[in-house]
Amino acid sequence: MAVEFRAVRKVFADGTVALEGLDLAFGTGEFIVLLGPSGSGKTTACRLLAGLEEPTSGTLWVDGRDITGLPPRQRGMSMVFQNYALYAHKTVYENIAYPLRIRKAPRAEIDRMVRAIAAMLQIEIQLDRRPRQLSGGQAQRVAVARALVWQPEICLMDEPLSNLDALLRLQTRTELKRLHGELRRTFVFVTHDQEEAMTLGTRIAVLNEGRLVQFDTPRRIYREPASRFVAEFIGRPAMNTIDGVVAQGVFRAGAFALPVGALADGPVVLGIRPEALVLREQPTEHSIAFELDVVELVEPETLLFVKKGDVAMVARVMRDMGERGAGATVHLELPQQHRHFFAATTGERLP
Amino acid sequence: MSRAWRGVAWAAILVVLVVALTPYLWIVLTSFKTRLDALAAVPVWAFQPTFEHYPAVFLDKGYLPLVGNSVLVAVATTALSLLVGVPAAYVFARRDFAAKEDLFFFFLTTRMAPPISVVVPMFLLFTVLGITDTPLAVVLAHSTFNLSLVVWVMRGFFAEIPREIDEAGMMDGLTRAGTFVRLLIPLAAPGLAATAILCFVLSWNEFLYAFVLVAFEGRTLTVGIPGLVTPHGTLWGQVAAVAVVATLPIVVFTFLVQKHLVRGLTFGAIKA
Repeated sequence: MAVEFRAVRKVFADGTVALEGLDLAFGTGEFIVLLGPSGSGKTTACRLLAGLEEPTSGTLWVDGRDITGLPPRQRGMSMVFQNYALYAHKTVYENIAYPLRIRKAPRAEIDRMVRAIAAMLQIEIQLDRRPRQLSGGQAQRVAVARALVWQPEICLMDEPLSNLDALLRLQTRTELKRLHGELRRTFVFVTHDQEEAMTLGTRIAVLNEGRLVQFDTPRRIYREPASRFVAEFIGRPAMNTIDGVVAQGVFRAGAFALPVGALADGPVVLGIRPEALVLREQPTEHSIAFELDVVELVEPETLLFVKKGDVAMVARVMRDMGERGAGATVHLELPQQHRHFFAATTGERLP
Repeated sequence: MSRAWRGVAWAAILVVLVVALTPYLWIVLTSFKTRLDALAAVPVWAFQPTFEHYPAVFLDKGYLPLVGNSVLVAVATTALSLLVGVPAAYVFARRDFAAKEDLFFFFLTTRMAPPISVVVPMFLLFTVLGITDTPLAVVLAHSTFNLSLVVWVMRGFFAEIPREIDEAGMMDGLTRAGTFVRLLIPLAAPGLAATAILCFVLSWNEFLYAFVLVAFEGRTLTVGIPGLVTPHGTLWGQVAAVAVVATLPIVVFTFLVQKHLVRGLTFGAIKA
């Protein structure tokens, strides 16, 4: 089941541009994550695919068939909603059975499928309850069960974990990943949480201001961010980015200077991830001296917030800093293979 | 709450009950009083009851069919108002269209004119249609004011239901109309019941429209009462007997469904 967005644009009645010409294609069995900050258009993209919104222009295709004008019920997709949207007047069993009942499945078949999915999600004991008797985690499982019981080709999930508390969120995340492996269906998952995206997705589509910024595997998104936006959005703490100027092979930003070799002269953004910075006890040939500003102990790691003139960076090291606190001098190396460069104007990655 | 405050609260409730129930009690008593007792200058609380008024008015004067008319009119009005008003309320709650709020306000304006100013044109209209003095005329008249009630109240009940419920229904395979019939109506059932009861009571109690539009065969109970004001004096005992019969179903009904009614009326007030 191949899904394709072709130049999909969505402008809402109030004039808000939610999507600005989205082109996106993915295939069967993938776990696609739509990631972006609020207002990036990720939820709109999901709802357009579901048929709950109509695109202003552009088309949507599934297996070479134009589905743009089809109502949701004819798209062969299911959806898990952020607030679960369970039917309060039906039991858990009837909630899960509902898509099968509407599709007029035989009674015995319905019972078999409902019990199978309930077993898979460990909600068999709750089948006779009403939705309001469920905890958030249980309600969430029921919503997932209802979406998967009829084995749709594509299951859409609009921030399904955001109403759960932290611990439950981690558990459910693992479970979704397992479920995806077992069912071999296409999952489209919307989130603003980069950690969720990184752990769940086979591929991540990063959106910003209605545009697709990067569509890649989590690994490549992390290691080769296509733009400064992606670089700063993915990873906690965020990638250090420094606005500076390259002149004669040296990158300068105030008191900060770093030889960068063959790079065209002009303004540029240097990026380096906190964990890529190497802490040295003594000054070395490539190290730069920084003043230590704040030390945060995030066992087992330590976050070092350092500065040099106007340039501030954070380094993540697996070392106890002992008594060293604000004002101390630390020596950091910025290994060549971990440096990223972005165009100062567009923010795009430089080769 | 301290004992003293509990006492005050009970006293206050008692006062309200006395004020509210005394007139009703008075009507019930009057329906069993002889003419002499009913007209006594000093109110009589203890008296020899008479049971003559009930058979006199319902059998001899032929008021029994009026009960049937009242039931017919109230039930038909409720059904018609809900049938037209509930889908309209749904559309107001869920769809956007030009001048939506203006149209919604228009429904309210239908209740702004004093009923007396509407009833004469209505009478002329129904005369042209040839339906005066039929229950149908009263049903249509009552539906005009009940419709606005249904649209206003039910819009709120539908708006309370999250839109995701419709969307979940559509993802589960329903048409848009299907989500309305199979999800929203069951979910709004408490509100629907409360609205239906209000419609029923308003129509059951209504006097003015019914009085102008029907004179003989189609009379409802409320319209029957002035017929007991005769040139030889008002037959208070019979008036009271009709009033008791007219109010009794409402009282019993309200007792039976009060839990449902309260839940329906506070449906929008309590948020989870």
